[in-house]
Amino acid sequence: MRFEPRAPDAEINVSKTHPLVEASTVLLGLIGLLALVTVLIVFAIEMLIRFIPEEKEVKWFSGWTPVERLQSDHPQAEAVGDLLARMVAQWPDTEYQFRLEISDDPAPNAMALPGGLIIVTSGLLDQIDTENALAFVLSHELGHFHNRDHIRQLGRFAAIGLFYSAVSASNGNTAIGYNVTDLTLRGFSRAQERDADKFGLRLVEREYGHIGEALRFFERLSEERESGIRWDNYLGTHPDPQDRIAELTHLAEQNGWRLSGEVFDWPPTARIE
Amino acid sequence: MDPITFIFNFGIPLAVLMVAYIVGTLLERRHFASIRSREASIRGFPVMTFDRMPEEWQVRKSELFAGSVVVSLDYFKRIIAGIRGIFGGRIKTYEPLLDRARREAMLRLIEQARAAGFDAVINVRLETSRIANANSGEGTAGIEMLAFGTAVKLESRL
Repeated sequence: MRFEPRAPDAEINVSKTHPLVEASTVLLGLIGLLALVTVLIVFAIEMLIRFIPEEKEVKWFSGWTPVERLQSDHPQAEAVGDLLARMVAQWPDTEYQFRLEISDDPAPNAMALPGGLIIVTSGLLDQIDTENALAFVLSHELGHFHNRDHIRQLGRFAAIGLFYSAVSASNGNTAIGYNVTDLTLRGFSRAQERDADKFGLRLVEREYGHIGEALRFFERLSEERESGIRWDNYLGTHPDPQDRIAELTHLAEQNGWRLSGEVFDWPPTARIE
Repeated sequence: MDPITFIFNFGIPLAVLMVAYIVGTLLERRHFASIRSREASIRGFPVMTFDRMPEEWQVRKSELFAGSVVVSLDYFKRIIAGIRGIFGGRIKTYEPLLDRARREAMLRLIEQARAAGFDAVINVRLETSRIANANSGEGTAGIEMLAFGTAVKLESRL
């Protein structure tokens, strides 16, 4: 017998699957997995909200302040607190004890946090020029409490963390994983913002008898956005201001609310004197 | 999300992935072509895993030879392999890497032995080690493949 050396026809130890086919297979699998996890988390959060009444939440989170650089001596602190109290009075059946803090941050923003904590940035107060607009921003945050969105928000952070670790555990591109997650969840977030808007506008209408100037802040947002000034903090998780104005104006028309009326300046210098 | 952030968050990572895929594929293809033609040129050179020689061989001299290669996978395939690692299964995108490394290391071993005038290599072994950060287990997804064996020169050519 004679030995005849011969090479195999092709790379026998390498799978024939094209890398791009393999890529789509694993990506589809990953997307499916993430979708499943999202559904489970959303479901778990809805259950959680049902089992955590407001009093319990306030008890757990009282004294919890996640934001640094708070400005308790902000000149407008008292006036904002008074305005908040007036808006809360329009929502008599709330079980929350609201706390208000002003944070030293030039970016205009407002947050609703677990335990009835509302944080307004000093940048927002600098930008606001009518009381009616600020009343709407505060009522909008109350709307988040009404819908228990801040608890959903916690779930969202949990979801982001989970996705993030899944992607980093796979040693993959964490930047893309994180951003896809973030963008998906912002979709949920925008729906919540719309609901909070509706609740907030209702409170403003009850307090002032009209919704005039309440949407002024959005108008400014959209003007400045067109002029190229960046409002990343507020815009990222929120719907387009133009859409919000259109939607809320439509809501007011449906309910027969007055679109204009008496408007008060902010800061309320006249009343302090 | 404004366009600049969007490009920064998605565009750049995707561009890096695409470049990695294209360059990685070209390099892999070229390497396989080189491996195949060099394998053809050493065909017929006896290489064995036996640790003892056929009895009729009269060995004049013997020497240890080693062929080593360090090779890495492109970023695109590494990511696909990473995602595959979540579910398990055959990590198909790693197979070409291992195959290239094994064959390249063998080629280097054989080419050296042949250039030094030896007639065969016996007792050939392959060793793989991962080139990665020992602490975190992360880092370069490269491997080192070492092929070594005893090259023998015979009294009379087979």
